[in-house]
Amino acid sequence: MRSLRIGIACPYVWDTPGGVQAHVHDLADSLIALGHTVSVLTPVDDPDSPDLPSYVVPAGRAVPVPYNGSVARLVFGPLSLTRTRRWLRDGRFDVLHVHEPTVPSVSMLACFAASGPIVATFHTATARSRALQVFGTALQPALEKVTGRIAVSPAARRVVVEHLGGDAVLIPNGVDVARFEGAQPLPGRPDVPTVVFLGRIDEPRKGLAVLLEALPELAELVPDVHLLVAGPGDADDVREAVPPSLRDRVELLGMVSEQDKPRVFASGTVYCAPNTHGESFGIVLIEAMSAGTPVVASDLEAFRRVLQDGAYGVLVPVRDAGALATALGALLHDEQRRTQLAAAAHDAVRAYDWSTVTRQVVEVYETVALAAPVAVDPSFEAALPADEVDDDAGRLARALRRWMSELPRRGSA
Amino acid sequence: MTTWVVVGLVLVLLALYVSWTAGRLDRLHARVDASWAALDAQLVRRAAAARAVAAHLADPRAGEALDVAASAALEGTVDGREMVENDLSRALKAALPLLVHDASGDASLAELQTAATRVGLARSFHNAAVKDTRAVRLRRMPRALRLAGHRSLPQYFEIDDTTV
Repeated sequence: MRSLRIGIACPYVWDTPGGVQAHVHDLADSLIALGHTVSVLTPVDDPDSPDLPSYVVPAGRAVPVPYNGSVARLVFGPLSLTRTRRWLRDGRFDVLHVHEPTVPSVSMLACFAASGPIVATFHTATARSRALQVFGTALQPALEKVTGRIAVSPAARRVVVEHLGGDAVLIPNGVDVARFEGAQPLPGRPDVPTVVFLGRIDEPRKGLAVLLEALPELAELVPDVHLLVAGPGDADDVREAVPPSLRDRVELLGMVSEQDKPRVFASGTVYCAPNTHGESFGIVLIEAMSAGTPVVASDLEAFRRVLQDGAYGVLVPVRDAGALATALGALLHDEQRRTQLAAAAHDAVRAYDWSTVTRQVVEVYETVALAAPVAVDPSFEAALPADEVDDDAGRLARALRRWMSELPRRGSA
Repeated sequence: MTTWVVVGLVLVLLALYVSWTAGRLDRLHARVDASWAALDAQLVRRAAAARAVAAHLADPRAGEALDVAASAALEGTVDGREMVENDLSRALKAALPLLVHDASGDASLAELQTAATRVGLARSFHNAAVKDTRAVRLRRMPRALRLAGHRSLPQYFEIDDTTV
């Protein structure tokens, strides 16, 4: 197997938590472990952070924009244009791998700016993507440069087929199973039945509101139950949504680091994913399953697939707090069922391990990377102002301009 | 006067649009060429792997039949390529149950499986490229102005590659 130079573009801010960022991070790590060379272009909030992996190339600042029901922070400006172009030129990549190229950010820029073998991964399962509806036709010329399309779920694949036409290869999200397996619970917590929630608490589609609504009924079924909530957002909103008598049952962890995530899952008797919609894949379920925590999740298509229609976890009707309380209560009382679900899940997560998934992604790279390497699209190069071109042509232009400005003086001498 | 300025502007914009579309078509054709080259390479690899498998079959006559189908695919004529590759798929389907699972038999099977996966990927990517190119080429303006020049309309490549 030949070693490849791979340029990956990630549209969302690297140092905020998110599924796409985590996907890119793990993919890059496991590609490097396989002996490939990787560079990741992405918006970064703190370019000086010591946590930033050496393969990350900051693409500039990001602006918050409401997008597809949540707040996305995107990049689209002259600085990021220049950096994208320079990254493409200096990287000499065998393959350019853009993630979510329909999001107005560096992936889209890279698509416009590059020519050569381009692989695109589509994550979103939201059928009504606003960018695609409004700019679909304008985006087409950039998207039709993509040589190989990957979708991370059947739902995401359907979005590709419906909006862009043509098929995509299905390669699921990966999970570093070993990182979650055998994780220890967080220290200093009471030894009580615990339901874990992980996700942005201020993002309605993550469904924390449904879980909070279910809490009073659940507390009647399981009197000493605790709710462990991990994820960024306003903690006061959560407290206000819970009756005062139950507020001491809700433990708010705030944002947890990637390192602590396995321990958060391991602290749960049960993991709950009450999402209402817009879930493309449900990688969080596989993480919980890897940590050995049984899952109760909304009956969304993506979750149903991961849980194999309930073989590896419990499915409950979407937005139904009563059904959620009943299902959680039943599972918290049934240790045998929990053990059985955890055992079934343990075997099921193998198919999602990054070692399996990355091999499939490399097969895609090797299929498209037969031709010439990635280069900067000539028409894109011409569209940039000369001042920003700092290659030979740009230097020549500047030298000429300097020479011309000195002409009058020479003439008078 | 103003009318002429407007007419001139419209003409300039039209010319820009036409030349941009021509460039776009050029790029699309290059993508089709590349995706076909990739598919061709993977088909050849599959045929070569099939020949290796043919040497490890329990029944020599079945091995000979597979070898004939694989050799036909390796000759790689452009016309009727789909048919030849489909014949190979069918021959593989018939032959694989007869594979002798010793070390070298399994090694040749593994190579065949890799090649078959790549054929599936390359074919999916090629057909997507063909689809995108046809979508632009079959519009009224590029057809009327013959922006594609002498290039023939790219064709989909449809075979059954689900055998292995």
